[in-house]
Amino acid sequence: MNTVLTSTAMRIENLGVRIGNRQIVQDVSLEISSGDWVCVIGPNGAGKSSLLKAIAGILPSAGTIQVNDFDLSTLSHRDRACWIAYVAQAPVIPPGMTVFDYVMLGRTAHLKLLASESDFDLEMTNYVLTELGLSEFATRQVASLSGGERQRVTIARALAQASPIVLLDEPTSALDIGFQQEVLTLINALRKEKKIAVISTMHDLTTSGIYPDRLLLMAQGQVQVSGSAIEVLTEANISAHYGANVRIINDLGRPIVVPTDF
Amino acid sequence: MPLSSVQTSTRIPPKWWFACAGAVVVTILLGVCIGAVGISPKQTALELLSHLPGLSIHSNLDETDSAIIWDLRLPRVVLALVVGSMLATAGSAYQGTFRNPLADPYLLGVSAGAGLGATVEIVVFESPVRWSLPVAAFIGALIAVSLTYALGSSSIAGRSASSLVLAGVAVAALLTAAQTLVQQRNSDKVREVYAWILGRLAVAGWSDLALVAPYVVVCTVVLLRYRRVLDVFAVGDEEATTLGLPVARARAVIILAASLGTAAAVAVTGLIGFVGIIVPHTIRLIAGNSYRRLLPLSIVFGGVFLVLADIIARTAMSPEEIPIGVVTALIGAPFFLYILAARKEGSLV
Amino acid sequence: MKKKLILLAISVSLLAACTTSKKADYPANTVKYPVTMSTKFSGQVRIDKEPQRIISLSPTATEALFAVGAGDQVIAVDDQSNYPDDAPKSDLSGYTPNVEAILAKKPDLVIVSNDINNIVASLRAAKVPVLIEPAAKTLDDAYFQILEIGIATAHDGDSTGLVNQMKQDITDAQAKISSSEKKLSFYHELDNTYYSVTSDTFLGALYKMAGLKNIADAAPGADSGYPQLSAEYIVKANPDFIFLADTKCCSVTAASLKDRPGFAALDAVKNGKVIELDDDVASRWGPRTVELFKQIVDAVTAK
Repeated sequence: MNTVLTSTAMRIENLGVRIGNRQIVQDVSLEISSGDWVCVIGPNGAGKSSLLKAIAGILPSAGTIQVNDFDLSTLSHRDRACWIAYVAQAPVIPPGMTVFDYVMLGRTAHLKLLASESDFDLEMTNYVLTELGLSEFATRQVASLSGGERQRVTIARALAQASPIVLLDEPTSALDIGFQQEVLTLINALRKEKKIAVISTMHDLTTSGIYPDRLLLMAQGQVQVSGSAIEVLTEANISAHYGANVRIINDLGRPIVVPTDF
Repeated sequence: MPLSSVQTSTRIPPKWWFACAGAVVVTILLGVCIGAVGISPKQTALELLSHLPGLSIHSNLDETDSAIIWDLRLPRVVLALVVGSMLATAGSAYQGTFRNPLADPYLLGVSAGAGLGATVEIVVFESPVRWSLPVAAFIGALIAVSLTYALGSSSIAGRSASSLVLAGVAVAALLTAAQTLVQQRNSDKVREVYAWILGRLAVAGWSDLALVAPYVVVCTVVLLRYRRVLDVFAVGDEEATTLGLPVARARAVIILAASLGTAAAVAVTGLIGFVGIIVPHTIRLIAGNSYRRLLPLSIVFGGVFLVLADIIARTAMSPEEIPIGVVTALIGAPFFLYILAARKEGSLV
Repeated sequence: MKKKLILLAISVSLLAACTTSKKADYPANTVKYPVTMSTKFSGQVRIDKEPQRIISLSPTATEALFAVGAGDQVIAVDDQSNYPDDAPKSDLSGYTPNVEAILAKKPDLVIVSNDINNIVASLRAAKVPVLIEPAAKTLDDAYFQILEIGIATAHDGDSTGLVNQMKQDITDAQAKISSSEKKLSFYHELDNTYYSVTSDTFLGALYKMAGLKNIADAAPGADSGYPQLSAEYIVKANPDFIFLADTKCCSVTAASLKDRPGFAALDAVKNGKVIELDDDVASRWGPRTVELFKQIVDAVTAK
């Protein structure tokens, strides 16, 4: 199933995730279209990662997820993967796998189960590697790359998957500030050029306000506040949901969150 | 050929196929020419050719020597090829789907189940010449794997890789205990049971091969077709699902094919260990980790390995025959020591 | 000097007379080849000519072969066949047989006691006749095997005579036992971890024929035929006789029994009723079974 990257709209209604006796995610609704970037923030244990996993189809969930007006739950795993790509918080890096082969894994969704990659798939992989400046690393082992390069490779795989919606779980948590900037800028450029809808979770509040169009503040499994960065990143909200005292500085045209308690 | 395809390390270069074919041919010739009864290679070759229809080639061998080549050595060599191939292939497949380079084809209880089936059969049936032994071992193996799969897939455990492995450990422990119990109560049969457990490749004629071959062929073909899927498994169940792989279904097929083939092999030859680990490991050291290389090469070199091991088994301590399971273990132990010594950063183990 | 020579001559001729008169009782050998035997454990076995190159991979079969007079037709026996002394022992193994090593000796008949490593089918594929003579369950089984071996080796008359002699010897020995000596109890020791045999086994049946009561019959695990007893059980049962079948394997002797805790107080030990058997004789089911039986009876009837 080949998706053409024209306008895609995803609507999530009343998504809930229950694990054992605990309701991890409750009643989450959100809408996102091509080119949007929604960032989910919140304290530890708020259910951010679980939300993403539920959308990705790795965790069972209640509620509906619709893409372009049809229900994702009716799709097979392969078809779902054609719509949604997922980059895990700590992606598994198979030992001994080259960058090229790792990125080529992104083509799995477009191959029949027992088929091999076609020339088109190989070309697509090459193209993605070039786009992200990874051509020189093609035959190197993924495990031998630096943090920033490796993150670019995982994003490359998601790109090779050619899905209109990409989920990124904490894409910058393991990176130093230089690589953080690099990766975030990259994601921003990609979503604008290719009209990919991005949903990410993020730890760092300031960086979460830089590029994304909308923020969702989750706590205790529910969306507490949603809106633009300025609307969500307020001292009151952060104090209420994080239990932390901060000062918001509105320099540079966007909120900068400065912790004040120490 | 597009430039891009050169960069993937999942394809097998054509040159390698020649090496594989060469290895197989040389191994078969070695296997058929070596034995306690000295028969010249020329006569051996003539004897083999004399069985080809249409040509009228004859060897000068008498009835007994001719039977040694055609009814004893050649079927034994072919059986070793087939069984070794299956064990290595099943081992590779399990290693891929469970992301564990130490997984062997007996992981999910096949050996314990087959052992129990064989023990029960040996104890129950008195007459020394039996055909029901392979059947009993086969059924035992299948029951064990089904039990493991049912246990590992139960709603409490979920169908994850680790729950299946744990279930396999539990089932193997249970069945091994049962087997020990049966053995204790029938200690006069211990020697026979033990002989079966250590494995044997000695055959007369082609009937044993006819029993095993259909299963091995079908299962090998299935696993071969799943080789790309095995590469996808490398990123773990969660990510593989998001990549679009129907993880549970694919794993079920792989387990079924690998277990069925192993059960058939084990039913005829008893438990031959280490092949399913040594061969894939060695291939990885040379050809890399992609299952698209590992699987086809395991098919070839699993067979080659077992034929060579069998030559050792029947000549090293002649006129005694070392049970083949002992030979593979004797190769396996130093092999693992070597792996231990040679571990480097980022290696698979 | 002359007297000595005459004595020597007389004794030699007497000996000859003994052996020939024994053989003279035996029926004549009548087997003509080719012969197709309907055997008990080996199916139909066809032997084309009188076997002159026999290989035995079973110590019991080896003893039987020599006892029926086929000894000079035997070219090799397995590494465990230690009786008779002059049997052509080789390094062939009965436990891990290598078919080619056997075929290299060009046999025309092979006798095995079990089918390990597909040896029977392999030998048959090489057109060598094979007889399987497994461990006997009863004395009749043992007789039957001797008869089969006799027929196969052109000593059918000799084997018949031998078996009849064995039967007679056993009956004679049985007659010696008085009724009071029956109902005495015994313990047969297989190894130094107290494994024993019940009356359901070949050995156990022999003891039963001698009228003895087996303490192992009531032991836990008796239905396997080879229960493992414990020192306490034996001490409690206090058998009248102890028969040791682990004298060779485990160097157990009547004297060493006293050193075992609790054993010194046993009646059998105190009264010197501990009998050392030959491990091999006690583990085979061949012609020397009679000797074993006689040894048991002698122990029982000794005063």
